[in-house]
Amino acid sequence: MAAHEILAATNAVVTLDVALPGTVWPWLVTVNMWAKSIGTGVIFMLFLLLRKHPQSAKDLRFSTTVVSLIFIHIFLLFTLADLHQPFRMWHIFFHPHWTSAITVGAWMATLFVGLLFLLAFLSSIKKDNVAFDKALTWVVLLAIPVTLYTAGLMAQCTARELWQMPTESAQMIFAALLSGSAFMLLLGGSKLQGDAQRTLGTVLGLSALMSFILYMAEYIFGPMKAEEVAAVLEYIKGDGPYTVMFWLGQWIAYLLPMALILMYRATQKESLLKLAAILALAGLWLVKHVWLMIPQLLPMS
Amino acid sequence: MQLGFLVDLHLCMGCKGCEIACKVENEVPLSTWRLRVKYVDVGTFPDTKRTFTPLRCNHCQNAPCERICPVSALHYLDNGIVNIDKERCIGCAGCVMACPYGAIYIDPQTQTADKCTYCAHRIASSMMPACVVACPVQANIFGDLDDPTSNISKYIQVNQGNVQVRKPEKGTNPHHFYVNGGNVSLNPLASKRVDGHSLFGKITTLPVGGHH
Repeated sequence: MAAHEILAATNAVVTLDVALPGTVWPWLVTVNMWAKSIGTGVIFMLFLLLRKHPQSAKDLRFSTTVVSLIFIHIFLLFTLADLHQPFRMWHIFFHPHWTSAITVGAWMATLFVGLLFLLAFLSSIKKDNVAFDKALTWVVLLAIPVTLYTAGLMAQCTARELWQMPTESAQMIFAALLSGSAFMLLLGGSKLQGDAQRTLGTVLGLSALMSFILYMAEYIFGPMKAEEVAAVLEYIKGDGPYTVMFWLGQWIAYLLPMALILMYRATQKESLLKLAAILALAGLWLVKHVWLMIPQLLPMS
Repeated sequence: MQLGFLVDLHLCMGCKGCEIACKVENEVPLSTWRLRVKYVDVGTFPDTKRTFTPLRCNHCQNAPCERICPVSALHYLDNGIVNIDKERCIGCAGCVMACPYGAIYIDPQTQTADKCTYCAHRIASSMMPACVVACPVQANIFGDLDDPTSNISKYIQVNQGNVQVRKPEKGTNPHHFYVNGGNVSLNPLASKRVDGHSLFGKITTLPVGGHH
């Protein structure tokens, strides 16, 4: 029975209880997810470009590694900042609990950072592109679970039914592809030849399309399956507190970039691609933030 | 041994004695609760009634908080209690997010997670939890679920068919039971909640503490 039917039938009202807890995972966690998407996404895109368009990508090895390092460190910094006891972070390494996605993620992210430093060493000091490309394959393989582990963490939040592992992991991968291709379009600039730009634009457009389809599927069909999901999605419907931000995010992250990429394919104007990339990066933050916040608004008891 | 709790909601009169006893025993800071009693009013005047539901940690057999804790600060004791080691907690709040019952909070003084421990320190000294002692109508029944002669086991036997847990669909297997409960008292989505308009308070949202 839907929540509103129960309410109408019983006319039940909570008349005395403690106030609801404030937001437990705030915007710091949004930045965490957003930065991790970029940090892993650019690595995926470098791998793709080196295989499909080596001429365009040959001078991007070091700069892409540095961008990945910067954004992974932003991710780690905000993860640390979100802890209420940040100086105890070392407990994760000395008292690890392996059923926790947080533990697994922290260890993988640490290894990932180590490998990124290795890539930086190979590209800047040793200048060994062959070794770099071999190591990059392993870094890409590790980047997949690094970008996915937050989906596992959200799935472990038993209380929050909106966050289901299959959809969240798909969203995380698409977010990495979207932000990675967007950032590479901005980073590559004139070094990217036309065919490389088209490839990145295609990745951006398709990942935006797939993400949009997933969100709309949740939006329309989610409430048909679970009472809690229906209640949570009310926060982005009608005059819900996150309705405006949700739709702004969908337009800025997905719909407008898709339209701009279609226009680019017709006109070949590079500025359209760059605008699509900037919008996708900005909109992704909004989309991630809304999806992080709304399940936290629902009373659990 | 598997310790468990049972509340007979037909007996509970909402005096909040358990709530206060818990606060005093465990020195629970202001604006936080390990145990609280929720009032829900049902019906339309003059056909109304008020239900009282004490809410605390359910000490689940399959506890999401234990599973998500990255440093095993939340851990099982041999007697089935889900305990917390506040010295080990890093304050990631994963447990707060994972608990389907809203039973865990961030202690604003220690900046670590905290929750009901069934007064594990009292049990270690062969005493009953503070809330059990304080209840004037013995609505709180506590004991060993593995012992068929314990009060709680007998109560469950006598009330078979009328014993419920909160959110059984989550698969957490709570060791906290309610007798004479209903959808309105046990399902948070079954009642309207207008925060800031409760009987005795205008606070809409509790501070989580720290940088939030």
